[in-house]
Amino acid sequence: MIVHRAALLAVLLLTTASPALAHKLKLFATAQGPEVSGYAYFTGGDRAMGAALTATAPDGTVLFSGVTGNDGGFRFTALRRVDHVLTVDGGDGHQARITVGADVLPPSLPGGTEAAPAPAPVPPSQQAVPSAPPADIQVLVEAAVARQIRPLREQLDAYQDQVRWHDVAGGIGTIIGLAGLAFGLTRGRGRRP
Amino acid sequence: MAHIPDGVLSMPVLAAGIAVSAAGCAYGLKRLHPDRIPQVGVLSSVFFVASLVHFPVGPSSVHLILNGLTGVALGWAAFPAILVALLLQAVLFGFGGLVVLGVNVMNMAVPAVLCGLAFRRVRRAFPGNARAAVTAAALAGAAGVLLTGLAVAASLALSGREFLTAAQLVVLTHLPVMVIEAVFTAAAVGLVLRVKPAVLDDPAPSDDEDGEEPP
Repeated sequence: MIVHRAALLAVLLLTTASPALAHKLKLFATAQGPEVSGYAYFTGGDRAMGAALTATAPDGTVLFSGVTGNDGGFRFTALRRVDHVLTVDGGDGHQARITVGADVLPPSLPGGTEAAPAPAPVPPSQQAVPSAPPADIQVLVEAAVARQIRPLREQLDAYQDQVRWHDVAGGIGTIIGLAGLAFGLTRGRGRRP
Repeated sequence: MAHIPDGVLSMPVLAAGIAVSAAGCAYGLKRLHPDRIPQVGVLSSVFFVASLVHFPVGPSSVHLILNGLTGVALGWAAFPAILVALLLQAVLFGFGGLVVLGVNVMNMAVPAVLCGLAFRRVRRAFPGNARAAVTAAALAGAAGVLLTGLAVAASLALSGREFLTAAQLVVLTHLPVMVIEAVFTAAAVGLVLRVKPAVLDDPAPSDDEDGEEPP
């Protein structure tokens, strides 16, 4: 029976696929100070090597272009405080795009356009906090926090598109349901005079 | 590669993909005999799951497609089977976009149907010759992947990409997939021929299966 046989095949495929699932190009990037770094990867963990990476400003100017390294990684220094739209293109139809917002880049960088407004000034009355920590400590704290939360962000990013078993089961169930429905409907129609 | 995401292709290519897929599905459903519906469902499930079997090749990552097997087993009914499977892959796994669904169906189902028609022709030319049928199945398995790769490269080229670069990348990274699918399809067909060869005969009510151009 081909049904039997194919069901066996499906089970076989499912079990061999267990270690890493899925297949979709993704991009992870984070800014630490003015330095933007990240990597391109396929859901499941394989890194995408040699993929073309471009960073463009919202107005379309190219801020950076390069190729991902052997571990799928890339790194560049942002020169302007604007949204960086990162696009990675595998050349074979795989493409992914994310945005590194201007707000995660250090305020010391020159703003991109006249549109970048200064951060809303806090009313003096509320600025009762004795004195803001010195700038260098602020930079250190920001760097430390960025380093600490990076693994968490990577994990979240990878988790978002992970294929889960209930998705697989749901998909197969949907197909079987559709086939059953089609079968039943055509049978009913055939029997009527 | 086979699943092109949204935002890569140009409008005319998208429209052509939707038109071809809609026509193919309509034709496939029209000539689908109700007795074959369970088989279509099972192969659709296999196709749906096959894309989860993936492995890294060089700079990229590839997965099984199994459209050759789908075409050999289903003929024209490969269109609706692949449409349903790809729709679920897009919705549940995020493989490929929804807008480009038509193009993705076209890129995988047209090679599937061509392989299926070629396989039927070989079987008719060598009736009862199991070895010829298994060889044809192996070729169909490899050709399905190859033609899909070329179709993807053509879709990208028509949207303004470089055809040769994309074609080389896609075809080269899919060489292992072609080998695996050739072996897999040959094994599946060989087993079916021994166990229940009637499954591969087309029980379509009246008209013959080949001699028709794909849409």
